[in-house]
Amino acid sequence: MIDAAVEFSGVTKRYKYFTLDHIDLKLPAGYIMGFVGANGAGKSTTLRILMGLVHQDAGYVNVLGHAMPQDQATAKRDIGFVSEDMRLYGAATLEWHMRFVRSIYPRWDNGYANELLRRFDLKAQQKIKGMSHGQRVKAALILALARRPRLLVLDEPTTGLDPIARREVLGELMAVLADEERTVLFSSHNTLEVEQISDQVTFIDRGRILESSDKETFLDRWRRLRLVLPPNTRLPGLPGIVKVDGSSRLPVITTNRFEPAMMAACTEVGVSVQAVDVMTLEEIFIASVQNQREGGAL
Amino acid sequence: MNIAMVGRLIWKDWYLNRAGILASLIGGVATLALIAAMHDSQVALIMGMIVLVTILIGMGAVVMLSAASERRQMTLPFVMSLPISYWEYTISKIAGGLLIFFALWVPLVAAIVATILLTPGIPHGLIPFVLIMAVEILMTTCLITVVAVTTESHAWTVASAQVGGLSLNAIGWSIVRLPQIGGWMRSATVRWSGTATTLLLAELALIVLMLGVTFLVQARKKDFL
Repeated sequence: MIDAAVEFSGVTKRYKYFTLDHIDLKLPAGYIMGFVGANGAGKSTTLRILMGLVHQDAGYVNVLGHAMPQDQATAKRDIGFVSEDMRLYGAATLEWHMRFVRSIYPRWDNGYANELLRRFDLKAQQKIKGMSHGQRVKAALILALARRPRLLVLDEPTTGLDPIARREVLGELMAVLADEERTVLFSSHNTLEVEQISDQVTFIDRGRILESSDKETFLDRWRRLRLVLPPNTRLPGLPGIVKVDGSSRLPVITTNRFEPAMMAACTEVGVSVQAVDVMTLEEIFIASVQNQREGGAL
Repeated sequence: MNIAMVGRLIWKDWYLNRAGILASLIGGVATLALIAAMHDSQVALIMGMIVLVTILIGMGAVVMLSAASERRQMTLPFVMSLPISYWEYTISKIAGGLLIFFALWVPLVAAIVATILLTPGIPHGLIPFVLIMAVEILMTTCLITVVAVTTESHAWTVASAQVGGLSLNAIGWSIVRLPQIGGWMRSATVRWSGTATTLLLAELALIVLMLGVTFLVQARKKDFL
């Protein structure tokens, strides 16, 4: 049994105008990780390095016990990969693609493929060029899922999908969650999707990992505190302050190290806590990125 | 190397290009039949040869454009998500493309030689020239292969096909002026010369060099998407 399905250690990739900078990342087997970043943050480059399609300049990548990119051919026997920029052969039917992939993967599950066809309302005999974008994404997902991979890597698969198609795709991914042996790495700039399906969350911005932990820890650690400061009172020294908004009398502080004891600390110095707001993953992501870009430490 | 996987990728390319392969094969056979039927006409012979050369070069270019198309049509991420290395992908593209070309080139060249030998009125002295030019067409296909696989660019592949076509004319025109080739073309018997052997060996050496350069360039690549 491999503890980490995916492990990056000090991975660096330099381009003329972009550097993926010392990426350290660990995804335990059986977990779903949401990999969140703005456009151009380095998500696709990271996932391509994971797949062995881009070679890192420095650092070590291990996927399902295989060193990448050297062992990519062996590692990819157990990986299903779908990316936003992936297309199937337009002149061929989905059935032809299914036969082609089935001939390569001995674990191909025909029953599951047919079930997915029905759930996604796709016709196997239809040519890919006659499908809508949403249908093509679903077709690519069938080809990736029915091979029963141990690791599923999805690079922004829902980009460009209408709300109905997005819901169907996300629904299927949630069903995949039921299989505890399968690991999923799912990149997106849509934090709502990541919040829905992930149990691990990693933020990346400008080629650097900002934070990486389990989703509950993320959501528990980040809070927005609405305070009321009496005249001539200073803000108490609270841990993990990422941002201070509002006025000097009614400050709103964002912290990434929230503990209930913080409220008592405020009360002790005469500061009243008007509200403690739970933050959404999107709010946390934006605060995290802004803090990083302004030179703060997380 | 995973030979089974390379074989599946070659089969895929054959399947996706099957219409072009079949059309070229039918066109080639039909042209040969016309040459044989109109063996008294030198114009028909020359025109027929031009059509055959065009079919062969066109087929090579079409096959290799499919290599360049993988990136443009964004099917490369799908192929590269399969359990293969980029090395195996490169082998499948080169071997698959050349096999498709050979499927057409070998029977057509054999049929051209047979037509010359069996049709009354066509001088057998043409055979060395035909073989040199046939290998020259193979060399042009290899040039297109090298460019298509290493650049994965439609523009460069089309440009290399044009350069190959022009070179073919220039080389054909030049070797006809060699006394040991052009001078013996109207001979009733096949007259093989040292010049013909040297030219054939030079062409084969260039083919090996071009394919070697392709693998060298591909081995040094670090980004495949």
